[in-house]
Amino acid sequence: MKYDAVVIGAGPGGYVCAIRLGQLGLKTAIVEKDQVGGVCLNVGCIPSKALIHAAGTFWKIQNEAEKMGITVSDPKCDLGKMQEWKSGVVKKLTGGVGQLLKANKVDLIRGNAFFKDKSTLGVRSGEGDTQVTASNFVVATGSRNLTLPFLPMNGKNVISSTEALDLKTLPKRLVIIGGGFIGVEIGMAYAKLGSEVHIVEALEQILPSIDKDLVGVVERKMKKMGMTLHTSTFAKGFEETDPASASTLHLKVEKNGKAESLEADVVLVSIGRKPNSEDLGLEKVGVQLDSRGNIKTDNLGRTNVVGIYAIGDVTGPPQLAHRASMDGLLVASTIKGEKAYRDYRTVPWAVFSDPEIAVCGLSEKEATERGIAFKVGRFPFAASGRALSTNETDGFVKVLINEKDESIVGVHMVGPEVSNLIAEAALAVEMGACAEDIVRTIHTHPTLPEAFPEAVEAAYLKAIHTANVPRRSR
Amino acid sequence: MEFKLPDIGEGVAEGEITKWLVKAGEPVKADQPMVEVMTDKATVEIPSPMNGTIDELLASEGETVPVGKAIVRIAGTGDSAAKKPSNGQAHAAQDRPTSRPSTSAGSTPAAASATDSSAEVLPFKVLATPATRKLARDLQIDLSRVEGTGPHGRITKVDVQMVYEGKQAATSRSSHPSPGTAVATKTKAPVSYVPSGSVERIPLRGVRKKIAEAMIRSKHTAAHFTYVEEVDMSEIVKMRSAAKDEAKARGIKLTFLPFIIKALIPALREFPYLNSSLDDEKQEILLKGDFNIGIATDTDNGLMVPVIKTADRKSIWDLADEIETLSEKTRTGKVSVDDLKGGTFTITNAGSIGGVFATPVINYPEVAILGVNAIRKRPVVKGDQITIADMMFLSLSVDHRVVDGADAARFMNRLVYFLSDPKRFVFA
Repeated sequence: MKYDAVVIGAGPGGYVCAIRLGQLGLKTAIVEKDQVGGVCLNVGCIPSKALIHAAGTFWKIQNEAEKMGITVSDPKCDLGKMQEWKSGVVKKLTGGVGQLLKANKVDLIRGNAFFKDKSTLGVRSGEGDTQVTASNFVVATGSRNLTLPFLPMNGKNVISSTEALDLKTLPKRLVIIGGGFIGVEIGMAYAKLGSEVHIVEALEQILPSIDKDLVGVVERKMKKMGMTLHTSTFAKGFEETDPASASTLHLKVEKNGKAESLEADVVLVSIGRKPNSEDLGLEKVGVQLDSRGNIKTDNLGRTNVVGIYAIGDVTGPPQLAHRASMDGLLVASTIKGEKAYRDYRTVPWAVFSDPEIAVCGLSEKEATERGIAFKVGRFPFAASGRALSTNETDGFVKVLINEKDESIVGVHMVGPEVSNLIAEAALAVEMGACAEDIVRTIHTHPTLPEAFPEAVEAAYLKAIHTANVPRRSR
Repeated sequence: MEFKLPDIGEGVAEGEITKWLVKAGEPVKADQPMVEVMTDKATVEIPSPMNGTIDELLASEGETVPVGKAIVRIAGTGDSAAKKPSNGQAHAAQDRPTSRPSTSAGSTPAAASATDSSAEVLPFKVLATPATRKLARDLQIDLSRVEGTGPHGRITKVDVQMVYEGKQAATSRSSHPSPGTAVATKTKAPVSYVPSGSVERIPLRGVRKKIAEAMIRSKHTAAHFTYVEEVDMSEIVKMRSAAKDEAKARGIKLTFLPFIIKALIPALREFPYLNSSLDDEKQEILLKGDFNIGIATDTDNGLMVPVIKTADRKSIWDLADEIETLSEKTRTGKVSVDDLKGGTFTITNAGSIGGVFATPVINYPEVAILGVNAIRKRPVVKGDQITIADMMFLSLSVDHRVVDGADAARFMNRLVYFLSDPKRFVFA
């Protein structure tokens, strides 16, 4: 059976690409070795957000309900039941993806795919080997957790994010190695559920790649919740020779050159991800990888081999589900022969910490590097009626405005629901909206999105709901 | 970080990578020249913004790159997020998780936001919606060259459509050749040389390509004619010798060029049409109030014309000093785009190499160029005597569309009048 296109990997890049290929009338198959939905739906975005939300609810009942006059006696968290609910959410979504593939006449082939030659793919499953031929292939195999040789994971008490999202009993003391997005999100969730959480980060700041003013807001909340941050600290290994059989782990760390030991029931290693570009026979067909194992692609998602495309995490940063999906749509159009361009100004992103952080467009540093003169406007959520009425007043919205044409260059948010608020800002950046466009758009009252036009007005010292402090233009 | 082709100068939208001065894997220091980029104005060296290592060259030599496009990836030593080890693992550092647990990793937010390594990012300077950008790409229109009619210069779909239709009109014009226009030449079948024997093929690139284009444009647009006259330079030769000691004291190399410029200015004032240009589109002649004199300069890469701005307000010493610095900058490739702009009249000096006189090509859109030639001792008849004088030929090429032969001759007479006796231009 010869297909027009075969997609390898049914994550948020692959399934979106396959559905679009089907819609475009191409005979399409998708190969998946595990569950459709990929890391995102099964062990990533979706389950983590379910868990974070549940933990947040529990925390609010314990810490905020009383202030609003609600007394709950002895609230309890049944982690097993929470995981069941979470699994239900995941199941519903992955089931939905399966149906969508079917509805768009995409054949789902289960097994591990590997290239035999440029037009033939072998698929190995429990039922033996089969093969499919196609004119086009899209590699969408994603990425997986990085491991460290001296901190070998055992799936029991030294774990990756995958197991961390499926713990049935609450760790008393959870130590997280790596203060990146994953470590911070999962760490805060377990802290809310009652674990004592320590985060070990090698650099001077957790979320080291994010601007300090945004991270500071999250750090304050973490400390308030009793979490301990060990920055400029390196994990060195365990004192135990067989961590899996130990009931209490002792993690050796080096803090400012001094050796210390941290006690833990469970250690989560979240130090990054690496591309799944091995075992696919890519070398056999001559697809080029870069030094980190990412598949090299051009602006249209084409590899150096005609007819083989690659999208999403396996092609390197930014490793974000929504960027993989966009790649998938573009590559589908390209395969169909339509004109397609990877032409976006911004890939917005969010951290689901408490409060959340979300960014689109350029940072102050990037704008300066590009020689853009800009104004800065800021609005604190403490001045938002809506934030006050939901008891979530930490954080702010910061807007960078081009001095020359008043266009919105970048928007940086930390605060309640900013993962949702960033969508409007991304639209503004993508549309080339100007300051005036934002303030002339009426925003519903009382809502959190009102913070966006207020921050823009603040840049011109015209904010209504905050004192207008002149800021230095850069 | 990805380094993008910076804004090189006013009105420069793209540049051609003429030469890489660094290789992938090489260390690079802040301000160390990385690449030579040629624009339609000049070749410039672009320095590294930071200390680090060249990761990958993203553009090849000969490629024309729009301003704002990434041309090289540099791994910085000063860039903590990119280089410092995470939990002691250097290899893990680049894979710092971004957004969403588990699905997402890699990259600093710098990379995750607008500077995505694989995405071609439109310069933030252009205001256009995604749909407009798509239309422009479909129609192969460079948005940085479209004038937006919306608020703050925003480009609308209609703007793009208008440019596209203009483009179509230009294309259809070319199928009805009208004599003397550059467009019409494109319809002619190319004549190519059929090689016999050994031939080395050198791509037409960089300054050479720009010179070729400029010359064709000039020759096909301006109606050239050249008028030649001779002038007795004996007085100026004397004057220059007299100033030798002072020149030495000032550390200035005093050539004849400053004197010639000095004599040229009053002549140009009297004949403003020689210091003009013709706006074809509006059918207007632009008489220029400034006297910015271009000096045709021979460089290893080819001919370039740096400009002495407001030459009328400068002394001979100022001019000599400026000519020396400017030509040195030009020859060493350090001249800025601004130095090459704004000329109103050009002087080309063929005499330093040899020859009797040349017929120079006008530096379009100017309308006149003065060729100055070698000063040679020759026997001349003065009164009824044969004497020896320092003689020089002047060859003036003029655009006949603007200046007629008689006016060119009258202008030349005035120039000779001033040059033959420097007292005259002192009083002028």
